[in-house]
Amino acid sequence: MAKVVIIGGGWAGVAAAVTAKKSGADVMILERMDILLGLGNVGGIMRNNGRYTAAEENSLLGAKELFEVTDQASRHVNIEFPGHKHANLYDVCKVEPMVRKLLQEMCIDLQFKSRVVDVEVEDQRIVSIVLQDGTKIKADVFIETTGSTGPMGNCLKYGNGCSMCILRCPSFGPRVSITSKAGIKDDIGKRKDGTYGAFSGSCKLNKDSLSEEIVKKLNETGVVLLPVPKEEINMKKLDMKVCQQYALKEFAENIVLLDTGHAKLMAPFYPLDKLRKFKGLENARYEDPYAGGVGNSIRYLSIAPRDNKMQVNGLKNLFCAGEKSGLFVGHTEAIVTGSLAGHNSVRFIKGIPLLELPINTCIGDLISYEREQRKTEEGLRTRYTFAGADYFKRMKDLDLYTTDTGKIKKRIEKMNLLNIYEEKII
Amino acid sequence: MSDKDHICVDMGSEYCPCYLAEMKECIMCNHLQGKELCDCNWQGICIYQEFYWNGQKRKDIRKTVEGKIIEKKVIQENYVLFKVKVDVDLALKLKHPGSYIFIRHIEKPYFFDTPMSIMDVDEKNGEIQFVVQILGPKTKDILSCENKIFIRAPYWNGVIGLKKLKETKEKKVLLIGKGVGLAPAILAIKYLLKNKNHITFVIDPGKIGVDFINEYIKDFKIEPIEISLRNQKGVDILISLLKENYDLIYSLGSDKLHKIVKAEIEDTSKFVCTNNSSMCCGEGICGACTCKTKSGQLVRMCKMQVKAEEILEEGK
Ligand SMILES: Cc1cc2nc3c(=O)[nH]c(=O)nc-3n(C[C@H](O)[C@H](O)[C@H](O)COP(=O)(O)OP(=O)(O)OC[C@H]3O[C@@H](n4cnc5c(N)ncnc54)[C@H](O)[C@@H]3O)c2cc1C
Ligand SMILES: Cc1cc2nc3c(=O)[nH]c(=O)nc-3n(C[C@H](O)[C@H](O)[C@H](O)COP(=O)(O)OP(=O)(O)OC[C@H]3O[C@@H](n4cnc5c(N)ncnc54)[C@H](O)[C@@H]3O)c2cc1C
Ligand code: FES
Repeated sequence: MAKVVIIGGGWAGVAAAVTAKKSGADVMILERMDILLGLGNVGGIMRNNGRYTAAEENSLLGAKELFEVTDQASRHVNIEFPGHKHANLYDVCKVEPMVRKLLQEMCIDLQFKSRVVDVEVEDQRIVSIVLQDGTKIKADVFIETTGSTGPMGNCLKYGNGCSMCILRCPSFGPRVSITSKAGIKDDIGKRKDGTYGAFSGSCKLNKDSLSEEIVKKLNETGVVLLPVPKEEINMKKLDMKVCQQYALKEFAENIVLLDTGHAKLMAPFYPLDKLRKFKGLENARYEDPYAGGVGNSIRYLSIAPRDNKMQVNGLKNLFCAGEKSGLFVGHTEAIVTGSLAGHNSVRFIKGIPLLELPINTCIGDLISYEREQRKTEEGLRTRYTFAGADYFKRMKDLDLYTTDTGKIKKRIEKMNLLNIYEEKII
Repeated sequence: MSDKDHICVDMGSEYCPCYLAEMKECIMCNHLQGKELCDCNWQGICIYQEFYWNGQKRKDIRKTVEGKIIEKKVIQENYVLFKVKVDVDLALKLKHPGSYIFIRHIEKPYFFDTPMSIMDVDEKNGEIQFVVQILGPKTKDILSCENKIFIRAPYWNGVIGLKKLKETKEKKVLLIGKGVGLAPAILAIKYLLKNKNHITFVIDPGKIGVDFINEYIKDFKIEPIEISLRNQKGVDILISLLKENYDLIYSLGSDKLHKIVKAEIEDTSKFVCTNNSSMCCGEGICGACTCKTKSGQLVRMCKMQVKAEEILEEGK
């Protein structure tokens, strides 16, 4: 039977598994940790700005399962915070078990604590991948969704050291770039000043450590803004963040808290003593990264060169998605690229033409735009997300942004792509 | 990256990171090789992190200490057994198979340091034992050591294939030792028995004789098989044993012995052997121990774990 092996069980890997399975393949996910979703365990913001359009497109293309889960797991629906409209906030404490259950019901083989450390390549084809314990796994096609974060040495060299994030490198071993093991040269994202990588843009505070008043407001409305004292406002800090969609004045002038189960603090890190000066945060403590007072994880250090069908350049049977496949930020971005990679992996096995999403879908446009932009120095210093910054502006300019599902449906139907991910290929 | 099978034996120990990290020549860490991105063969710690938090400096190096000679026994002409008192702490670090030390006459300068395998350790009393074969300039005046001897330790890379040896549990193991190479067998046997392995021990007494080793193994309930590889009968016995189904075969002796043994084994991944490289600093710096692997890579044998088959084919 046709076998697809996915390396990395973050949102991208999980999404690839879903579409590959629906297309008829035997699917295995290898995840180095003991949980799925990777960085998805610490985010939570969905459907804000252009992500709404993308989520609807992906569902209409035939992969709605994961968006159904995140909608169901949402603590807050259709809320607003500075620069962002109609956001859902999923509960990071609930979503992983729900996704795991979905995948188990779909009979996707989930292998935890299975870190891939090497590949065996013959004639530009990955023959097998090697796990830490030496086990070799063969497949017809592989999908790399290992993300781009860390590991410890990188977070130290390009950041403030290991801040003990959800990826827990010391316990589960570092991320490995499969492309680079296969001899492909990865691209490296940069900050505005040209240094490598970027800090993750938010932290989680333990809600039990916040004042009752703040907790109440968070539970009711999802958002709390606390103004930063004038002398502490630091606009420069915005430049070092991954999330350019949150690099707005409001985020420097205020502490923004969002309720995602924990209280999501929209800053890459914030010294604890300063944080505790805010009313209601006197006893605050970090939940993720544990050392959010000093730093955060460093991302975008291993981006695979690829085509618009999510196939890695230079290897015949490797696909990629999520942060591995571009300077993308976001769960939604990981899911939509993952869905395409999973679907195309099965087309590849079958030997039929791979699907390229037209640029009059926002997903297709994001994928091809990022690929073009990344070739330039400026492009390497930019992040690509439906949620804001340059790309959301582009979406609006190109009239790709809409929250009208009927309109999106017409578009997808016109392109003859409705439910294309539902088709059983083999 | 650093080759998957090449691991620094000192990694994660109190001596890591070492001078190599300062020189951007670390065996394991890409950043400490001056490269841009992480790509290590993860062994549970981040050396770069250790280096950073140590103030971008190496850790303290091993010191040369004076050991008190408790016993000195001439086993045969040119073979001397030493029992030496050291710190309990140091003795404890020399318990594992493959442990070795550098010894030196206390009136001689540092370049007389000579590597010697630990035969046995009494960690409660801080006593270590080793057997010295008197050969050339570095060992000749060891015989005249009376009360004290210089010891620089601990070092650990005395077995090529250490990981394989340590992983072997509840299996059938064949040990083949010859001459002074029998000495390191004791630590290995203790370790292998603790892991509930069944051991067959083949001894070629060489010039040193079996009496010294029998003293130690009598408590282990192992029946040693005594042979001489100088006659055909001995060789035949060894060959027929090697055809049996052992999960681990450990050769303790000269490179010549290793080659004889290895030639008869089908699956060389079961093969481990004593590390006979010429060593001087033991710290991966001087280069005395440098060896070429099958694939042409140069490795410092005092620190680096490689597969036995990679080294022996090429030799030096
Ligand atoms: C603190 C923080 C907050 C965020 N908040 C939001 C938010 O609110 N909304 C939003 O949309 N986005 C958010 N993001 C961004 C978003 O989480 C990521 O862009 C997205 O989840 C990336 O998904 P991925 O699957 O590409 O990578 P990852 O989530 O990094 O997944 C990679 C997976 O691969 C595994 N892996 C790596 N190497 C190996 C190996 N060798 N063998 C086996 N497995 C391996 C990892 O363990 C991991 O599970 C946030 C990110 C962070 C860090
Ligand atoms: C890890 C290790 C453990 C050892 N354990 C023991 C032991 O328990 N008992 C024992 O008697 N010997 C042991 N040796 C070998 C011992 O170190 C040498 O025999 C000794 O250094 C010879 O020095 P020499 O100047 O007296 O003789 P030399 O005249 O220099 O040499 C005589 C022979 O010893 C070999 N040799 C020379 N210098 C070295 C050196 N620095 N390292 C290794 N071999 C060398 C030469 O190849 C030559 O065949 C061990 C060696 C190593 C590397
Ligand atoms: S003995 Fe000096 S480098 Fe190995």
